[in-house]
Amino acid sequence: MNALEIKNLKKTYIQNADKKVEALKGINFEIKQGEIFGLLGPNGAGKTTLINSITTLEKPTSGDIQVFGTSVLEKPLITKKQIGIVHQEVINTGFFDVLEILDFQSGYYGLANNKTRIEYLVKKLALDTHATKKIKQLSGGMKRRLMIAKALVHSPKLLLLDEPTAGVDVELRESLWAFVRELKNEGISVLLTTHYLEEAEALCDRIGIINKGELIFCGTPREVIAKYSTKKISLKTKDGKQHHFVDSASKELSEILQKNQISFADIIDIQITEGKLEEAFTKVVNL
Amino acid sequence: MITQKIIPMSMVPFFTLVKKEVKRFMKVIVQTVVSPIVSSFLYLLVFGVSLGNSVTLKSGVPYLAFLIPGLMVMGLINNAFQNSSSSIVTSKFSGDLEDIRVAPVTHNQIIWAMGFGGIIRGGMVALITGIVGSLFHLMQRGELLLITHPFWTLYFVITGGLIFAFCGIFVAFLAKTFDQLSAFSTFILLPLTYLGGVFISVENLHPVWQTISHFNPLFYLINGFRFSVLGVSDVDLTTSVIVTLIAVGITYSMAQIALKKGSFNRW
Repeated sequence: MNALEIKNLKKTYIQNADKKVEALKGINFEIKQGEIFGLLGPNGAGKTTLINSITTLEKPTSGDIQVFGTSVLEKPLITKKQIGIVHQEVINTGFFDVLEILDFQSGYYGLANNKTRIEYLVKKLALDTHATKKIKQLSGGMKRRLMIAKALVHSPKLLLLDEPTAGVDVELRESLWAFVRELKNEGISVLLTTHYLEEAEALCDRIGIINKGELIFCGTPREVIAKYSTKKISLKTKDGKQHHFVDSASKELSEILQKNQISFADIIDIQITEGKLEEAFTKVVNL
Repeated sequence: MITQKIIPMSMVPFFTLVKKEVKRFMKVIVQTVVSPIVSSFLYLLVFGVSLGNSVTLKSGVPYLAFLIPGLMVMGLINNAFQNSSSSIVTSKFSGDLEDIRVAPVTHNQIIWAMGFGGIIRGGMVALITGIVGSLFHLMQRGELLLITHPFWTLYFVITGGLIFAFCGIFVAFLAKTFDQLSAFSTFILLPLTYLGGVFISVENLHPVWQTISHFNPLFYLINGFRFSVLGVSDVDLTTSVIVTLIAVGITYSMAQIALKKGSFNRW
């Protein structure tokens, strides 16, 4: 059973009688259990609409969303218990401290006494020395960690991360990546939206590229790089000549050398720059 | 990794929301409870004590005694409305309303929790207003003003608190700006309160206004509550009980519609 299945999902916003905006145009993909799936796309591509549809913040126009085999549209109370969400924007309630917020969050999920889990998360996410601080007293990084702790208080099986590392420093980003990998090892499935392509490359088992409401690529980061990016080769041969080749990233070095009639034996220096996800992404969204 | 068992359809989300509501308004107690009590104190001092001696009611009830239950209901309904509406609007601003939406919390749990939050805050203000009013009564008339029918007092606190907490939910979920929220308070709640008999008996009004007052549901709530405290009012108890029950049903339905049609998204 898949952790998440999106089936022909459409969402149309009716702005007025003449203007309709198709935010999602029949999206299909699935996330396997224990998989980290990255959803990439430029601003306004439909990523947050998709996440909001999974969490019921938005009602899709048509199609279906299944979480561990249960339809979000038919049985939302069951699917909501399986999902944890880290919103793109940080909540900013001024009334409560970290422990109170996590206690309320547990209560929303039916957990009256969740102290052990809260203590575990607060310590794990290095919030223990700030546990009695209100949100406004926390730094940006701490707020992000609190959002993650909130999403995990009820031990969800599917975690939705909507740009979780936006605006955080490199050190925190790497510690959050390590934490997401730990969650994967515990069997939690993750849907991650991000603008940082190196984040998707480092973390995701598979990625989906969404643009203008359509899923235009779905596969592993290696597959998209191989298909849409280029490999750059600079080499020096025994005769002292410098050669520069640019070819598809999917091609083997031997194939490229053969095509350019250069023998391995003649090479005295070689530099290969592998294709990057960034290049492939730019090419895909501009197709 | 520690895991827990989640009880299906538990009442925990409801009690959590009630606890959150109470903790929220207790953290700003000066604004939520003390401030309305100061207003009531001033009303009692100016209208009840200073002007009250020159007001004669047809029922023969001293004006101060007449005013105290009116102010108690005013404190109750204003605070019940303010509690649910301000809680929802501040949650829309901070974004934590989205947390409730994405969690397995039912609309009924949200509505009743907000309703009970309104009853608790409104009831606290009404109770303290009643105590202060009773002390004024002791100073002016030589005896405390005691409640005649405590059961009916409790009934009208619960129904009045629910009606206005539900109204607060309705307005706050559908409102898109602060202006829309304050428009409801200024143009609907305030006239209904003042023309419902908080400060004056409808007997003292022009016959046209007397007729209009009978279409005001607050008129029945205020008079029912006044009956429970004083044992006399402008309306019989049965009518007050029936009208307030119908009002609870209508405002509950309005709150349900607001949760279905309104927005949980952040402002």
